[in-house]
Amino acid sequence: MSFVRGMLLFIGAMFLQWWWNTHLAYWGAAPQILLALTVLVAARRGPVVAMFVGWAWGLYSDTLRADLFGANALLYTLAGYIAGVVRRQMDLRAGGPLAATVFLISWGYAFAIGGLGYVFAKSFFWVGWPTFIAAPFLNAAVALIGALAWEAWGGL
Amino acid sequence: MGPERMQRETRIAHYVVGVLTTLSLILLSLSLSSPVRSLKACASYIFDPISYEGERGYQKIAQAPSDLRALLSADVENRRLQDELRRMAWLKSDVESLGLENGRLRRALGLKTPAGRYPVWAHVMQRDPQRWYASVAVDAGADRGVSLNDPVLGRKDDAVVAVGRVIEVRPHSSTVMLLTDQRSAAAAYLSSGTYEGLIQGQDGPRLRMNYVNSEARIVGDDIVFTSPTSVTFPPDVLIGRVAQVNPRDPFLALQSVDVSPALDAASLQEVLILRAHPLAGEPAPPVLVEASQ
Repeated sequence: MSFVRGMLLFIGAMFLQWWWNTHLAYWGAAPQILLALTVLVAARRGPVVAMFVGWAWGLYSDTLRADLFGANALLYTLAGYIAGVVRRQMDLRAGGPLAATVFLISWGYAFAIGGLGYVFAKSFFWVGWPTFIAAPFLNAAVALIGALAWEAWGGL
Repeated sequence: MGPERMQRETRIAHYVVGVLTTLSLILLSLSLSSPVRSLKACASYIFDPISYEGERGYQKIAQAPSDLRALLSADVENRRLQDELRRMAWLKSDVESLGLENGRLRRALGLKTPAGRYPVWAHVMQRDPQRWYASVAVDAGADRGVSLNDPVLGRKDDAVVAVGRVIEVRPHSSTVMLLTDQRSAAAAYLSSGTYEGLIQGQDGPRLRMNYVNSEARIVGDDIVFTSPTSVTFPPDVLIGRVAQVNPRDPFLALQSVDVSPALDAASLQEVLILRAHPLAGEPAPPVLVEASQ
């Protein structure tokens, strides 16, 4: 990944997440593009890069919410780490394993953010049923599309 | 990826996850005190300057398409104005040229046009270096009513000067035989005593005025004009100045002088041809006031 392409991906993903959340989110359901791309980066470039990128993207997501500053940074970092662990066990370049990993991590995220709320804000943060049900599918789709784009652009 | 590299990456990943998790937990543990809010504001500004700017930031983004459209319109307008500016520069040059021509024509109004003559201006378009003092080609021909033997005048400052006559007419151009051509001849008189003579070309920069009465007392710088008896030129048109009085021949009753033409052949750019025949439908030339000479 060249520096310029990497910066384009980094900034473009943040802009895309903001734009989707602002204009295309229905009933609170929108893909967690940054989370899906963190897993994709881990699958393609390894966990170290993915954790740094995920932490920065998580911090960006945290700036958009009023509470739990640092929660998304922590969870995206862990998503990158877990994807790196899974990558050692199976080939995440293939579409199926990648989609399944993103799907499971997305559900894990929903429970984890709730738990962090319980620990640090004294109440379980429920993401809502639309998000809980739709987000994993949307995230898996984003990851697959991202993988296709990654291939098309020659590995970014 | 080799096993060693993978182990190394795993080890680094452990360190990184530890550090980043610790950092995240620290951020989570901090209450939203002033330093934390400052840190959040700083991160917000770095990662999301639009939200940091608030409504104004979103307005800026929302205005981007219209701003872009305005920018494109300004670019198109700019190109159009640049083209206009180039046209204006060309127009300015044209106006300046017309101004010069206007001044020239204003001075030409002082010429006493003989009755039945129709003036037309022409540009000198060709000179033959080997026949420098013999002839020039001008850009007016039969299409503008020029005919054989039409007198051709030039302009020197505010004075009109005899230049030559038309000896060849083509559809769009003509050849003018200059007075300095040795085949040229014109009746002329000296301003001091109105003695007449015959101006003849020498194929050189000077003219010679022959057949001047031997009794004439010619002084230097005497001015030479065309004679009313000239069949080619209108009367009283400047030809030049006496440059040298030649020694008298005691066996002849005549004398000659060398004349320096008022208009050098090399400086000739525009000429006035006095046509004998008008073009179809051309009105008679206006009554012109005689020039002050």
